[in-house]
Amino acid sequence: MLSQYMINQLVNGLCQGFIYALIALGFAVIVGIVGLATFTHGEIIMIGAYASYYIFSACGNNLFLGLFASFCASWLVGILVYKLCYEQFLNVPEHISLICTIGFSMLLKNLAQIFFGTEKKPMLDIIDNRIYSLGPVEISKVQIVIMVTVLALSALMMMIFNWTKWGVALRSVSQNREAAALVGINVKQTIMVGNCIGCAMAGVAGMLIGIYYQAIYPTMGATLSMKAFAAATLGGLTSVPLSALGGGILGLIENLGISISSASFRDVFSFGFLIIILIFKPTGFVKRKGVRP
Amino acid sequence: MKNRVIQKVAALFLASGMVMSLAACNSSADSSAAPSSSEAAASAGGTSKGTIKFGLIAPLTGVHAEYGQGFQTATKIAADEINAAGGVNGYQIEIEVQDSAADPKTSADIATQFCEDDDIKAIIGDFTSSCCMADAPIVDQYQCVLLSPTASNPDYAPMSDYCFSVMYNQANMAPWVGKSVIGKYMGVKSVAVMYLNTDWGISTNQYLLQGLSEAGIQVLADEAYEEKETDFSSIIAKLKASNAEAVCILDQGNVPTIINQIKTSGWGPKLVTQGPGASQQMLDLCGKNAEGLVITDSSYITEDNPKTKDFYDKFYAMNQCAPTDHSLCAYNCVEMLASAIESIGDGDITREAIKDALKTTTYDGMAGTVKFDENGGGVRQFLILGVKDGKYVVDEDYGYE
Repeated sequence: MLSQYMINQLVNGLCQGFIYALIALGFAVIVGIVGLATFTHGEIIMIGAYASYYIFSACGNNLFLGLFASFCASWLVGILVYKLCYEQFLNVPEHISLICTIGFSMLLKNLAQIFFGTEKKPMLDIIDNRIYSLGPVEISKVQIVIMVTVLALSALMMMIFNWTKWGVALRSVSQNREAAALVGINVKQTIMVGNCIGCAMAGVAGMLIGIYYQAIYPTMGATLSMKAFAAATLGGLTSVPLSALGGGILGLIENLGISISSASFRDVFSFGFLIIILIFKPTGFVKRKGVRP
Repeated sequence: MKNRVIQKVAALFLASGMVMSLAACNSSADSSAAPSSSEAAASAGGTSKGTIKFGLIAPLTGVHAEYGQGFQTATKIAADEINAAGGVNGYQIEIEVQDSAADPKTSADIATQFCEDDDIKAIIGDFTSSCCMADAPIVDQYQCVLLSPTASNPDYAPMSDYCFSVMYNQANMAPWVGKSVIGKYMGVKSVAVMYLNTDWGISTNQYLLQGLSEAGIQVLADEAYEEKETDFSSIIAKLKASNAEAVCILDQGNVPTIINQIKTSGWGPKLVTQGPGASQQMLDLCGKNAEGLVITDSSYITEDNPKTKDFYDKFYAMNQCAPTDHSLCAYNCVEMLASAIESIGDGDITREAIKDALKTTTYDGMAGTVKFDENGGGVRQFLILGVKDGKYVVDEDYGYE
């Protein structure tokens, strides 16, 4: 028999997991589907959060306007990242663009500290907080919004990549660029749009994280993106829905661990779990070894 | 060919961007290398026996420049006020400033330089505990008082007879929060504590528990978390399950986040916090969630606090920013040295005499009484502030036991 306390911890864990999943979604799109290496993901999250913050303070708490702003802002930064870090380095070893993204992430973080200020900015009451009780389960409105968004985005991504012509083109580009070009696919443009979709996912995640934690700051992406990376690794780095699943499980494991020990050991549980899974199943949750779809 | 050029331009752009962003991070700090404020002495006339010189070691540049420049301004305000009122025992006060950039090695060099200058009767500074601890052996050797406005490491003051600090440390402060604030003022019977897992948080938690057990308050939960934590929901669920009447948060930067998450979880315990101080940022970040919060602070410096208004206005006019408690402590340093010298009376003003007089000096200023414990560590009084209608209200003045 589960006590009320454990049920609450499970809900908390699930919601935290969905936050990781939200970031892991975009990460899996860029790394897994498009086949690029990125370290700017945390900073894109931050850009998305700030974009929605300024929209909320200028135009009032309109969730859809905020969503639109963070989507557009991170899409634009995605184009910039592509132009600076990827376009010239598509035919050279991956680590060159990898280093470029590390540099670009430092640049973005420092620029944000200069232009937005280093202090935390409040993001209060964007969604009217209400707590729903379903029997012993207590869940807040923000938590529901986050869960629904993750599920919807995950399904949408799956549909785009599997069922649209463009999705098939993108997958063929990630498998073999030369062959894709030979059959008439515009490789560069496809990669750029793919990267932008991943970035836009991150931007939307940034807004939701800001709303959930009610504060944003320039370094907010750094710790969360580490966890999202772990979640995406659990998903085998190639599958969007499995990455989301990985995020959910990580959150659950962490919070269950905290409820029986101390919050100081949060990272021990999540990364410990990752290590154990990778030892026994190096491909994560996917069946086959690291082949892109 | 064209590709090559674009590639190079892109690389150049990235590299220069990174360099600029790094440079910009530092540039805010070293904007003003400060001049010596010896003009302080010249401003007042009257029948003067001469001047007494204090050395000020402060981080005027570097990461702590904000505080160092605050020290410089605050000590000048204090010296000007004393000199305008006729000085101390007929002497005018003069302050010589040197920049340590918060670097212990530089700080120690300046301490030696000040100690070898016989005109300097006492040294005020430095900002960080580590700088002060680097200076301690030097002032001990030269037998010159080192009075730090802000060193709060409990190990610093006992290093030498000549080392003093006016900043409180948690050994004096946290037991009082447990016993008087949580026990007597809030009147709760059970409390849950959450604290930051750092040196500061761990020791503050221990001292707090000491005070709580003296007052006979039940501690139902005592949870630590990491500094970079963003999601407190699982700890909050744990505390909630303990059914404690109140939650005590020991932290600085995370306090608003924690308060917001407690309120979002639909739980309404009494809230008390120790560490962040009564800042405007806290009210901005919490909004209406801050209502009813109990917070303790050693000073409360705003424009509309009549006790500190004069200091606030003078500081603002000279430094174009609002003073913090750190600057107020630097102001207190000059006042305490002045009252120590006053108590020497007609005797010789020597470094030794200042040290002996300082030990028993009690200064009653705009932010409560300041004195020293047997080691030279600071003992200050505290205000109990509450939040009502989005503003801080002083609920209990200094001296609440």
